[in-house]
Amino acid sequence: MTFVRLAGKNAWRKPVRSVLLVICVAVAFLIYGLTACFLVGSQGSAGASDDILGVMSAAGRTQPLPLASMVRIAADPGVAAVTYTTRLRGFVGVENNVVAVSATDPRALLGINGKELGLTQRLVDAIGKARDRVLVGRALADAQGWTTGQRVTVTAVQTAREDGGRDWRFEIAGIFEGDNASTDTYFMIARYDYINAARARQKDTADAFVVRPRDGVPPGELAARIDAQFANSAAPTRTQSEKQFLDAFLRQYADVGLIVDLVVGTSFVTLLLIVVNTMVFAVRERRFEIGVLKTLGFSRHRILVLVLGETLFIFGVGGAIGLAGARLATELAGPALGLVFSALVLAKAAGLVVTLGLLTGALPAANAMRTPIITAFRTR
Amino acid sequence: MTENLNHQPYIDLKGIRKGYRIGKESIPIFSGLDLTIARSDFVAVMGPSGSGKSTLLNMLAGIDSPDGGQLRIGSNRLDQMGESARSSWRAHNMGIVFQFYNLLPMLTAAENVELPLLLKPLSARQRRVRVEAVLDLVGLAGRGRQYPALMSGGQQQRVGIARAIVADPALLLCDEPTGDLDRTSADEVLAMLAFLNRDLGKTIVMVTHDPHAARQARRTLHLDKGQFSEQRSAA
Repeated sequence: MTFVRLAGKNAWRKPVRSVLLVICVAVAFLIYGLTACFLVGSQGSAGASDDILGVMSAAGRTQPLPLASMVRIAADPGVAAVTYTTRLRGFVGVENNVVAVSATDPRALLGINGKELGLTQRLVDAIGKARDRVLVGRALADAQGWTTGQRVTVTAVQTAREDGGRDWRFEIAGIFEGDNASTDTYFMIARYDYINAARARQKDTADAFVVRPRDGVPPGELAARIDAQFANSAAPTRTQSEKQFLDAFLRQYADVGLIVDLVVGTSFVTLLLIVVNTMVFAVRERRFEIGVLKTLGFSRHRILVLVLGETLFIFGVGGAIGLAGARLATELAGPALGLVFSALVLAKAAGLVVTLGLLTGALPAANAMRTPIITAFRTR
Repeated sequence: MTENLNHQPYIDLKGIRKGYRIGKESIPIFSGLDLTIARSDFVAVMGPSGSGKSTLLNMLAGIDSPDGGQLRIGSNRLDQMGESARSSWRAHNMGIVFQFYNLLPMLTAAENVELPLLLKPLSARQRRVRVEAVLDLVGLAGRGRQYPALMSGGQQQRVGIARAIVADPALLLCDEPTGDLDRTSADEVLAMLAFLNRDLGKTIVMVTHDPHAARQARRTLHLDKGQFSEQRSAA
């Protein structure tokens, strides 16, 4: 037997109570795991770059910028590469099957954030073979069950064709994988020249310019310089990093991070109260036995560690089950929900398991530690 | 302080004072109690309820402190020790046998016996060997995996004795060790205590109400109104 086993046996002596506590902890960590996975994976903002800049209209992201602005942006000595992009939002088949299409110059995009998106020269060559070809992100392809060579039709929400129709037909030239699990790949890349030539309005405009700064150029400084350049023009700009843009995009709807923090915080505070209350009673119930252990020579310090070990055991088992559940849910949910169970989520959860285990054990452990043996023996 | 085995008693109480406070009233238990017990002695302490037997045993075990006087066991002044020092002293020098065994119900017999060894720098294998040896000594070889709830009172008390001696303490304190047992089991337990004293040289102080149990001791002390009177046993 070891101290760990002794703590485990103490924690498991009333199985029903322990199982209920473990379930309680598991549910709390399942909630934490899922919300943390959502935050990490939501819109790929965790995988978004701080270095790549997006230049949009200062009047709002729905306002287009003239394509001619790109020349002035490219002239800045701090710019390594720049390209244009226009977003086409639509659906496939049914209206709630929403997809996004980024119309751009794939060759230029390869040089700017090809690594992050998992673009390769072979994919760029493939899309270059016909104007209606697209590259589909892995998450979107898996969610829709699409494969290379398949033809798909996207019905645009706003972008109408010159013939008045809204159906845009594409042939899938390849699938890009994304640099890592948190990269947003739930969209497709189309050729700007195809979309621009066929759309009815806003020709020769872009929703945004994507800029890669030269090595050693601070992105923040470059962003300020670009915006200053267009400050008094007909189309003033607002330049942000890709990460800033995606975070701001999410905040249009709500401060998701704050909501998640509140939900998780509330569940953990409730959990804390339940476990503290239960552990205080559990330790009080066996004050006599704690007296026996002290009589055998267990010091106050060892009793403290023993009770803390019990709560850590409960939190360890419950936390592991909850996080395993969250991991399983991310696997089962598929990429469409954008849940990413990253190493960071796991590390934070492990830290929470230990912190909450120690916090909830502190009061009962201190009580057990302080109870004199004589007082403990009077409780039988 | 170095103990002189030939001249100094193993347990030496001088002018022990102890009382309890109930509200504003102070109730004295001992007002200058003296007691000496030699190494390897077997002493039974008898007396009516409220005479201070349990208080004496608690002080000898270092789980209660005298209000005044000197309490020395071996080379250690228990009256001058802090709580953590007394914990350490108990872990290495003393074993205790309770009337109601006080085994932990969620542990097997062997795990209960092993508890004091967790406080010693022993490997798991060394602990297992010792536990098996003492279980064998108390006649419970092969019963280590059994839980206390499935054992008779006599068997549980033997586990209690095994737990008390597994760390090889010099002093064994027994609080009514036969108080909850039938005659046959009580006799077995008493025979075991006699063996531990006679053959292994343990110093034993046993509090008991049972004159039959007291007769197993080398001497019996009668405690009444905070003072001792002594009687030698034939044992």
